[in-house]
Amino acid sequence: MSDGQGGREDNVVKLPVHDPAHDEDVLDDERLEALRLALEDLRREVRARLPDPKAPRREDEGIDLFALFDELRERVSTLGMSERSIETDEFGLDRQAMSRAAPLLDFLLERYWRVDVVGTKNLPTRSPCLFVANRSGLLPYDGAMLSHVVQRLLPEAGRPRFMVADWLITLPFVQPFLARYGGVRACRENADRLLRTGRSVVAFPEGVKGAAKSFAERYRLKRFGRGGVVRAAIENGVPLVPVGIVGAEEAHPVLFKSYLPARLLGLPFIPVTPTFPLLGPLGFLPLPTKWVVVFGEPVELPLPEDADDEELEISQCTAELRERIQALVEVGLDRRSSIWG
Amino acid sequence: MAEQEGEDEYDECGDECGERGDVTAPSCIAITGLDSHFGMRLAERLLERPRAPRLIGIDLHRPLRLAGRLNFHRVDLTDPTADGELAQVLADEGVEALIHLAYRHSPTPDLEYDHELETIGSLHVMNACAAAKLRRLVVASSTMLYGPRSDNPNFLTESHRLRGHAEAHCVMNRVEVEDLLVDWVPRHRDTEVTVLRSCWVMGPTYRDHVVRFFERPVIPTVLGYDPLMQFIHESDLLSVYEDAICEAHPGIFNIVGRGVLPLSTLIALAGKRRATLPAPLLYRVSSYPAQGQTGDPPAGFFDYLRYLWVADGERGWAEFGAPDYSTREAWISFVSSRRLQRYQ
Repeated sequence: MSDGQGGREDNVVKLPVHDPAHDEDVLDDERLEALRLALEDLRREVRARLPDPKAPRREDEGIDLFALFDELRERVSTLGMSERSIETDEFGLDRQAMSRAAPLLDFLLERYWRVDVVGTKNLPTRSPCLFVANRSGLLPYDGAMLSHVVQRLLPEAGRPRFMVADWLITLPFVQPFLARYGGVRACRENADRLLRTGRSVVAFPEGVKGAAKSFAERYRLKRFGRGGVVRAAIENGVPLVPVGIVGAEEAHPVLFKSYLPARLLGLPFIPVTPTFPLLGPLGFLPLPTKWVVVFGEPVELPLPEDADDEELEISQCTAELRERIQALVEVGLDRRSSIWG
Repeated sequence: MAEQEGEDEYDECGDECGERGDVTAPSCIAITGLDSHFGMRLAERLLERPRAPRLIGIDLHRPLRLAGRLNFHRVDLTDPTADGELAQVLADEGVEALIHLAYRHSPTPDLEYDHELETIGSLHVMNACAAAKLRRLVVASSTMLYGPRSDNPNFLTESHRLRGHAEAHCVMNRVEVEDLLVDWVPRHRDTEVTVLRSCWVMGPTYRDHVVRFFERPVIPTVLGYDPLMQFIHESDLLSVYEDAICEAHPGIFNIVGRGVLPLSTLIALAGKRRATLPAPLLYRVSSYPAQGQTGDPPAGFFDYLRYLWVADGERGWAEFGAPDYSTREAWISFVSSRRLQRYQ
């Protein structure tokens, strides 16, 4: 044992002795020089021990199959893991993936759709709240954009989660992808849990009816679910923030819907847009329309006193909310001269 | 007719150290399914308690490591007269509380026996408990009973419907048990019933078909799906069993670890590889081996790796305290123990 230690004695680099009295003052030139020399020694030693990179490779070795296999295995097992963190929140949101996606979202927000935000003073400062917006387009760009807008306006409140309808979030590949970026399956249990744990929610009560709007019926809001949004806001005591999103409905203008091939794929319908399916995958690119996001005044709903009238009251509230959002959409539409600007 | 072969004379805790002052702690506890992982460990834990209760073990085989430390009775729960036998044993021994652990850890191809043991066996246990007027009944259940569905909410609460999985026979058996309990509980108000729905268990020593599946170096997964998973550590589950039998916690509780992780992250954490196959191909390829092992079509297992079935554990944490291990820690404890075992 002592032999092993003795053999290495000459390799040990002598560092200047640490003097506690010197701790306060900065490194003076003398000590800096000593450190530099020590570092130089260390470098030399490391270099001496490393194999020479310039040495000619022995030809008889051939390709090291095992090393190649190991590398391949390593690559395969970490495929798609490099941009992910090893911890997600309870709804599957991945912070690392999210922060990687932020530049893209910023680009979409500032350059691509040139989103104008109206009514920022209406944003409630207290979190959580329930954002209710008009839904459009099959792909949830509007939800992703709205939660990104809110996060940029209220960075300390946390990113609101956007609700995604069943038919979309249950598709293979879509579910894990959306979950990583803050999409949550639209149902009362999820909304309640998010609001209860202090996270804001973006809901689209039009549901699949909203996503399925054709270009001709754009910006005319469909019926609002069965009052689940209002009920969730009342029961969790959070304000409802009506939001009108203008522009998303033209990003994928649905000319008409094709039902027969959709049935084979298990989709509600296949939209036919000017670019899809004509241009194939390129058709998934949304058009660079001008977007306006209009925040309305938050609505605080008190608990209804009379349980008998509750249903009626909630349905009235829902209808009122729908009209408000319709009005906000009109405000947004008035701000644009055309869909491009 | 119970074979009274288990009349062990050595009784570690005599009558004098029975309950006094502590009203709820039962002085005599019966464990069905003693010769199982949790049966044996729970018995050991209970015997180590400062005021250890008298233990009655019920199973087909007497576990050797507990010989002489408790009274063992051999009762075959699949026997048509098992309820009478068990009621006799419970009455003779003066049992106050019973924890029912006589389930299959892993499904077997013997579907009929599995059904007899799990559903009918539980029915016999319930009947015997009613006849013996037990103070407390603890039933081990599983969050697998909620069923993996694409339309599940992210967190399933205890009030959620038990939909099970039509192609997983053991799950359906246990759904039936819970259905039986729904009828049984209101008719026997004197018995406190605790139902503990635990998620998949991970840990250094526990093994079932799930653990064996994750022990493989290459883990087949379904292409396009990456569900959030949750686990409970074996020692946490054991503590919950212990609390549930020793204290009064009537009700249904999900027993799960904190936190969830996507399946792909778990596999990457374990340093294993994924063989990702499209569902139709995966189910076809694994159909014969799966039927040989579990008697079910592969969907009965792989759907649990495909859709969400995460349970909301908040009620359980409030009742039994937060678990020591999160999902991630339970998983890492499992992985690291397997790594160590490889070098033994």
